[in-house]
Amino acid sequence: MESVFGLVGKDFAIVAADTSAVHSILVHKTNEDKIMLLDSHKLMGASGETGDRAQFTEYIQKNVALYQFRNGIPLTTAAAANYTRGELATALRKNPYQVNIILAGYDKEIGPSIYYIDYIASCHKLDKAAFGYGSYFALAMMDRHYRRDMTIEEAIELVDKCIIEIRSRLVVAPPNFIIKIVDKDGAREYAWRQSIKDSPVPAA
Amino acid sequence: MNCPLPQAISPKSTQFLPFYTQIRTKSSIFDCFLRLNLSLMSIFEYNGSAIVAMVGKNCFAIASDRRLGVQLQTVATDFQKIYKMHDKLFIGLAGLATDAQTLYQRLVFRLKLYQLREERDMKPETFASLVSAILYEKRFGPYFCQPVIAGLGDEDKPFICTMDSIGAKELAKDFVVAGTASESLYGACESMFKPDMEAEELFETISQALLSSVDRDCLSGWGGHVYLVTPTEVTERILKGRMD
Amino acid sequence: MTASESMPHKGGFSFDLCKRNEMLAQKGLKQPGFLKTVCFDLLRNNDLGYFYDGVILGADTRATEGPIVADKNCEKIHYMAPNIYCCGAGTAADTEAVTDMVSSQLKLHRYHTGRESRVVTALSLLKSHLFSYQGHVSAALVLGGVDVTGPHLHTIYPHGSTDTLPFATMGSGSLAAMAIFESKYCEGLSRDEGIKLVAEAICSGIFNDLGSGSNVDICVITKGKQEYLRNYMSPNPRTYISEKGYSFSKKTEVLLTKITPLREMVEVIEGADAMEE
Repeated sequence: MESVFGLVGKDFAIVAADTSAVHSILVHKTNEDKIMLLDSHKLMGASGETGDRAQFTEYIQKNVALYQFRNGIPLTTAAAANYTRGELATALRKNPYQVNIILAGYDKEIGPSIYYIDYIASCHKLDKAAFGYGSYFALAMMDRHYRRDMTIEEAIELVDKCIIEIRSRLVVAPPNFIIKIVDKDGAREYAWRQSIKDSPVPAA
Repeated sequence: MNCPLPQAISPKSTQFLPFYTQIRTKSSIFDCFLRLNLSLMSIFEYNGSAIVAMVGKNCFAIASDRRLGVQLQTVATDFQKIYKMHDKLFIGLAGLATDAQTLYQRLVFRLKLYQLREERDMKPETFASLVSAILYEKRFGPYFCQPVIAGLGDEDKPFICTMDSIGAKELAKDFVVAGTASESLYGACESMFKPDMEAEELFETISQALLSSVDRDCLSGWGGHVYLVTPTEVTERILKGRMD
Repeated sequence: MTASESMPHKGGFSFDLCKRNEMLAQKGLKQPGFLKTVCFDLLRNNDLGYFYDGVILGADTRATEGPIVADKNCEKIHYMAPNIYCCGAGTAADTEAVTDMVSSQLKLHRYHTGRESRVVTALSLLKSHLFSYQGHVSAALVLGGVDVTGPHLHTIYPHGSTDTLPFATMGSGSLAAMAIFESKYCEGLSRDEGIKLVAEAICSGIFNDLGSGSNVDICVITKGKQEYLRNYMSPNPRTYISEKGYSFSKKTEVLLTKITPLREMVEVIEGADAMEE
């Protein structure tokens, strides 16, 4: 089942997520990217109901972009996190989005940061965060091995440890994962960890 | 736990429908909680908290635990539950973390408007009435929050009070408590509290009351946060607590 | 869903949230516990040839939250107007809110008319508010006061119905208190006899009903005069305080201390020669 987790390193932040689109007992797809690039230096990893996730993350992404167009400066990570929380909190008492969010970003003055925002709109800045069934394994692994001054290589090693743990210990483990990174050079995809490839579609 | 349950065990009976006919009805936070099988647990116990305020001689102290959890899973151990409204006025918000954050933001907004209009700080008594009014506004769909207000009023007279989630004020002369550990806090404070304590003794008393109480509550703890306010200075201390 | 339910509201109040809360409670969701206040009672003394003519209100001072005593000395006798007071049982926030609201309406009404408020005015305002909320605002009140038409005593139920009585009780302690009234009330009590009787009735609530407890508050209203006797009796003093208090052998472990000195407030004297130029 769904697993999204992230951690803050020395001068970067990493978010990893499974890439399965699941409905009921059916796996629709194993290469669904659940980590959205909000802007040049922000990543939004989201888990939750498929439709809500797609709608909500896109809504936030477009509004963050709109803010940048209007004001000429981007939102800081903290501002984006608070904006996201506000939108979730307003929706909460009307028609809530079932999405849990890990927001990672890099700001020049502040450095890298990760915000934990769950679907009931509790928001908190953390060094390491995880959602979904994978969180039981990812949080335990990170509690044991995490350091604040990790290099990218060390952090990726830890992320891999988490993925291996999820794959080997979770009954409903997803096969594939995506890892994205944000640092001073921007937000980008870092790697995939695939154990199943989507079979190529034969040409018509 | 914090992700929606798989369709197959969802209490909504939609699992018998083919997935494409699924209709999402208008649902709110309350339905979410039902879906999470929270029926046996109060919404107030979702995140876990313990807050206490005590009065001393011309001073007061307000303390909270530091845990943010999602039911039995601990998410953070540096969560802020006591907020400074101005130099001599503090509010602790126990209960559901999201409502605590929303409520705090609304209170800051109202307090700033007051400061701009009146060019003075709000008295704790006035602030308590404001909080009470904001809570009662939502009488039939409340914020799941129990506030604890502590401040120094006119001539630095200490004021403490707590409320239920719909704004019934409970003024006290000695101490007030809130949160999942409130029952054990009542016991601890009832025996440890003495009237007219000096600042340092007050700090020791409130810290011991807090730490011994959260040790009897699974949902709160993981350290403490104490503000000690006298007419001349504010002392903020982080306490070491059990990490289990 | 019936057609009437799906129709938009044409006016009046919406009880959607109440319906929802009931549904949630049925499904087993634990509703938040609210503060409750419980016992009070009071009586009116009608003079028939005696010198005394007024109303005496009484209440205990316990507030509970489920089985926990949340406040050992709360105030349940609410001010409505200088000549009218009101005892409240039920959900504490509701009794407080409803009496405050009506008290402010009464004050505006006094400004408008320049006359003393009448008890029936307060009664009508309270009952129409409670009726429009169909019992969801759970305030059970005893309203007492003296106006130009004499002393009055009314009870108001959460659904908005009212009674006018020579003596009345409300709340969970009402049965215990009523027993005292029924056996000892008579017309033409003097002030002191009245206070004694009310205090006895409240004490019977305090000692025989678990929802009531602590002290006795009394409010005596007579023509042109009212006395609020806060903690008139304190039959349950604390007995369990250690004289020496506690001492802690091991100091609390502090990880971090931050001390912020507070600015001194500067007095600005206006009208001095600061603005001269």
